[in-house]
Amino acid sequence: MYINACSTISHQNSFKNENWINELTLLNDESELITPNYKEFITPTALRRMSKIIKMSLACGKDCIEQSGIENPDAIIVGTGLGCLADTEKFLDNSLTIKGLIPPTSFIQSTHNTIAGQISLALKNHNYNVTHTQNSLSFEHALIDSILCLNEEDSNILVGSADEAIPLLGEIIDNLGFEKISKHMTSGASFFMLSNNKTNTSKAKLIDSYTVGLNNSDPKKVINEFLEQNNTSLNNIDLVLSNSFGSINISEIEELFNSTKVTPVEQYTGYHLTNAAFSMHLATETLNQDSTIKRILIYNTLNNSNIGFTLLQSLEA
Amino acid sequence: MEKLKRELKEQIIELLNLEDIKVSDIGDDTALFGESLGLDSIDALELIVLMENGYGIELANPEEGKDIFATINSMADYISKNKK
Repeated sequence: MYINACSTISHQNSFKNENWINELTLLNDESELITPNYKEFITPTALRRMSKIIKMSLACGKDCIEQSGIENPDAIIVGTGLGCLADTEKFLDNSLTIKGLIPPTSFIQSTHNTIAGQISLALKNHNYNVTHTQNSLSFEHALIDSILCLNEEDSNILVGSADEAIPLLGEIIDNLGFEKISKHMTSGASFFMLSNNKTNTSKAKLIDSYTVGLNNSDPKKVINEFLEQNNTSLNNIDLVLSNSFGSINISEIEELFNSTKVTPVEQYTGYHLTNAAFSMHLATETLNQDSTIKRILIYNTLNNSNIGFTLLQSLEA
Repeated sequence: MEKLKRELKEQIIELLNLEDIKVSDIGDDTALFGESLGLDSIDALELIVLMENGYGIELANPEEGKDIFATINSMADYISKNKK
């Protein structure tokens, strides 16, 4: 299946900028989310109620619609690790502090499916609409659902993921003893138009996505099995994009992949539970722009006992 | 009554995040719903909560809401007659 559009809002200059993969900068304590003018994508009436995660997702979703020319996708599938945190915090705070009726907006918008729902409302799309929440593998589960739909009767699917950081999340991470990481808890959204049809906007091919609980299995064995299932091997992988949570030393990951180059993506995107979607956009543009790279494996080990694999291939390979 | 109308306009702007709207932009007879101010059904729920929490008025008949929330004048009139 083909990746016919991709759009990301992140701490990189990634939105509506195909050259962003050549302008990557390492995150530092001053790095901020780089956002577009949302008024170009969302009506003022809708915008006034939206939290960051919904604004990011809607802008990326609409950008994918514009890039691909597919106005009415057959499904809208979203993955999110923690969902609409800002509205959830506001709703819970209201519940504790307000006597009497609780204002409804933050409650309505605190549910995880608000993201996919708001995209469908904006597009007036009445097709399959679902949200996957599987911790650090939420994006992979959204991809797997998309692959299943495309293997059945769907032709074009808008799939993506989003997570948002709020100050309270940083405090919680601090209290759990991850002070170094709490500074780089970030927000981000990435969306893609997946299609069975190759078009003049196609950038790369999505070959497979897979999740596995290691349960003491040898990671190397699991990696090789995944690649074998897709008729390839480590020798044919030109680049590995890894997502880890700081508890894993990069040399441990490099050791798993022999001589294949490994790039840790969290240094560019920061930590949020669906930053593998950022990796997929990075991989897609790399395959589209660098003819020497034919296959990229995304190795998501944010939770090091539940691993996600996503394999992408260039259009020519 | 004028004080109540201004208070309602300020509350509506803050409660509904009407960032680009000023108190002076909302006339006493401006239609709150529809094209003028563009409020919708979720905003109506917020106004029901405002009536109960801010003025102690519980709307017993939701059907009345359409007329009560039509304009600032109609809201102020209903509050002044029913405030507890």
